[in-house]
Amino acid sequence: MKKKLTFKRFSIYFDQYLFISITLLSVMGLFFLYSASQGDSSTIIKQSIFVVFGLALMFAMSQPDPDFYNTFSGIFLIVSLLLIFATIIFGKEINGAQRWLNLGFFTLQSSEIIKISLPIFISSYLCNKSLPISPKHTFITLILIGFIFILIARQPDLGTSLVVFMAGIYILFLAGLGWRFISISFGIFVLSLPFLWNNFLEPFQRQRIQTLFDPNADPYGTGWNITQSKIAIGSGGINGKGFQEGSQAHLDFLPETETDFIFAVIAEEFGFIGVCILLSIFFFILLRCLYLAFNARDRFCRLAIGGLSLVFASTLFINLSMVVGLIPVVGMPLPFVSKGGSSLLSFYIAFGIIISMATHKKLMQR
Amino acid sequence: MIDLEERILEKKSFFNRLVFIYLLFGILFSILLYKTYSLQVSSFSDYEIASLKNRTREVLVQPTRGVIYDRKGNILVNNVPSYDLIIKPWKIENLDNFIEKISEIISLDKKEIDYIDENFNKKALYNRELTIKRNLTTDEIARFEVRNFRYPNAFIDVRYSRQNKYPYLFSHAIGYVGGVSNEQLNEILINQEKEQKETLFKYSGGFLIGKTGLENIYDKSLRGKFGKKSYEVDASGKFLEEIEFIKPKNGINLFTSLDLGAQKEAYNQMDNRRGAVVALELESGSIVTYLSTPSFSVNSIANGMSTSEFNSLLEDENKPFFDRAAQGRYSPASTIKPAIALYGIKEQLIDWEFSIDDPGYFILPEDQRVYRGWKEGGHGTINLSQAIIQSSNTYFFSLAYKSDINKLTNHLSDYGFGRNICSDCFNPDIGLLPSPEWKMNNLNFGWFKGDTVNLGVGQGYMSATPIQLAYYSAFLANKGIMNKLSFIKHENKKVDVSNSASKIQKTDWDKIHKSMIGVIEDPRGTAKRLKSLKSYVVAAKSGTVELVSTETKEDYKIIRENKGNRDHAIIIAFGPMPNPKYAVSVVIENGESGGSVAGPVAIAVLNKLITE
Repeated sequence: MKKKLTFKRFSIYFDQYLFISITLLSVMGLFFLYSASQGDSSTIIKQSIFVVFGLALMFAMSQPDPDFYNTFSGIFLIVSLLLIFATIIFGKEINGAQRWLNLGFFTLQSSEIIKISLPIFISSYLCNKSLPISPKHTFITLILIGFIFILIARQPDLGTSLVVFMAGIYILFLAGLGWRFISISFGIFVLSLPFLWNNFLEPFQRQRIQTLFDPNADPYGTGWNITQSKIAIGSGGINGKGFQEGSQAHLDFLPETETDFIFAVIAEEFGFIGVCILLSIFFFILLRCLYLAFNARDRFCRLAIGGLSLVFASTLFINLSMVVGLIPVVGMPLPFVSKGGSSLLSFYIAFGIIISMATHKKLMQR
Repeated sequence: MIDLEERILEKKSFFNRLVFIYLLFGILFSILLYKTYSLQVSSFSDYEIASLKNRTREVLVQPTRGVIYDRKGNILVNNVPSYDLIIKPWKIENLDNFIEKISEIISLDKKEIDYIDENFNKKALYNRELTIKRNLTTDEIARFEVRNFRYPNAFIDVRYSRQNKYPYLFSHAIGYVGGVSNEQLNEILINQEKEQKETLFKYSGGFLIGKTGLENIYDKSLRGKFGKKSYEVDASGKFLEEIEFIKPKNGINLFTSLDLGAQKEAYNQMDNRRGAVVALELESGSIVTYLSTPSFSVNSIANGMSTSEFNSLLEDENKPFFDRAAQGRYSPASTIKPAIALYGIKEQLIDWEFSIDDPGYFILPEDQRVYRGWKEGGHGTINLSQAIIQSSNTYFFSLAYKSDINKLTNHLSDYGFGRNICSDCFNPDIGLLPSPEWKMNNLNFGWFKGDTVNLGVGQGYMSATPIQLAYYSAFLANKGIMNKLSFIKHENKKVDVSNSASKIQKTDWDKIHKSMIGVIEDPRGTAKRLKSLKSYVVAAKSGTVELVSTETKEDYKIIRENKGNRDHAIIIAFGPMPNPKYAVSVVIENGESGGSVAGPVAIAVLNKLITE
């Protein structure tokens, strides 16, 4: 139930279901991370600070009226874009990718911000357009999405750029994009796949896709990550090897245990049962978002809740599919569980906005 | 502004589309869950094994080879320990400090320090041990052991080297060990259900395999079985802790029938002359002496020898690597006569009283070709026994003339010629027992009667190895009962008596023995000089192998100027009579006289075997 607790002077906007499940997920995440980082206390302290700060941020973000987000969505988008440009100019390079902006106290991954501001802006842009969306508006939106997609993809950060791209498309679709348009563009997309493969993907990205179809071709080279990840998950069995007992994670066979591959650590140590518990919490959050979207007060809120929750779902499924070997390796964290600053905080912000949209009611509806 | 109707329409479309996307995600979710299920539940055991394989690293542990003994329990080949100083690089933080500290008690030269510098980091990275000094002296060991508490990351451990205690005596009999090729190693390990991988060596020489002699023939049992240690490793291959240790199964000791004393005696008697000595114990058919001279040190071969040293051995005109005992081909010469005599008796071509008048030569009726004896003027009227004692060629030319070549060849085969009569000799040659068929196939010529006549005195195409001659000697001594020879004394060995020699009467055997005793004891015997060298009775038959055919003694004097043209000296002997225990054969290349040159060696070896 969305709640409005009325105190003497002000109201608090709060959704207990989302709040409890996200808090639960965050706390479980801390335990998983403790094991994945091999008991590194500084990592845990840092992550705990992020979690506490993130929960506070989520609470804070759910207080303003949705109209606030609607009104300022353009400014949010411009600020996000400025951050991305700043990253391109001043950003620091890690592992050949320039995605991070050093703010002194915090290293910001600017693409994580636009992941939220773009869906809100598009929701705001489309929420008062008549159905079906006219080609003009469709193209304006598509050009915006494409522009941002290319900006991020060139950092290079294919994972995030895909999520941003998908977020934009979700909202276009939810806002009522014509079926004819959808089927034509899908056809063009399929036909242009070879072109994209040859001209757009970096060699390492092509390699990753090839590895997916035959990880055994080079198990110690490009196939290493996925091979070791599958071994970790598979050897967990039904019950798992036990907390901090995962040999794949603790003997360094598994790559990126604290970030992208943390799900493999969970699967190894807690088995299929642990996986089911974890996934059911995620599933619950998604279902709750669906419910909230249905009951949102206006079109803007509906589109924003739908868009943001689908950003969350996409991130989640890209990460899980990658770790179990269904899709190529792309850098993508497991929401609320993986170690990280920007990506972690961005989801608290996103859910804060979702709660805001879901709990504020228009007076005339009462 | 949108009107109400459109708003309802919009809301409915939104719901439908959101549900549509959620359904897509729902399908994805199911696929994901199924994929996880199949990894964790369906293929659990595969991945469990993969994970276990990932985190454990097996290291082979080398077994030590079996010790080789002589028949009296003397150690012939042993594993000699060397004490090496070994460190654990991953526990040493400052290498320079450590070297300085250890140098206070054990000095390290520049080469050793360079070796440490070169390998330290690599070994440290993977938690592997590093040997920093080999062959510590007892002083160094003592100095280290009393202070070992100061060096917790260093220890002394034993590494072995394979050592033959009598490196020149058993060069060919026991042979040597050496490095193993990758394919051989793979085969060895596959047989032991192991794979090639990192190994903890007990031998400083690494993997060993028997290259020649008994080390080669009994390699499998001497070798033992590899053990293994399992370590927990991380992804970089670093050893974390030992999980399991299956001890290696050391090689089985080999108790040979060789006799150290007799071997030494034979070696001293041969005095580096080219030749071979083989002695057999009659009851078991086991080899007690097996010597080929000149020989070489097997230890230098096994433990590393410079190329120039090796090449000088290889190019030595006396061919020390050549195993004359099992591979040297010599005409049996007159030593064949007892076998020919028994053929004549068996086939009833002659009896013991059959005499001929020996003018010193035999003329082949077919083409009037002359076959000469060794004594000018001949032996006069002579019977079979005297023909053996005095070694009359004429008698045996005429006996061979009456023989059927195919029957004779079969007969000689029973005596060990032309076949392998040793069960555990290294690469034995089978010599050559000629037949009309062989001659046609190899020389493209028909068999002449003259070839049979030559065979009657062990000359011509026929050749035998010293081990075959020893077998032949033992066969005569045992009266036609002999099994395959072996370097191991097999108790209760089933004896094979199915040969044609078993048809020979006991009295005929006795008469052969008596005649062969006469070779030494009779005043006219060809080896009568040996009589005084012993205190018991010995039966023998000497032979002199003509390398160049000459008409007269004068001609021989000319050709003997070249040492390589001189006759080979051969003798076969067995004793003590009348119940012989040992048989022996001696070949001395270019030794000229079977009786007086090869004979003393044979008697010395028999003395050692019989009187000690």
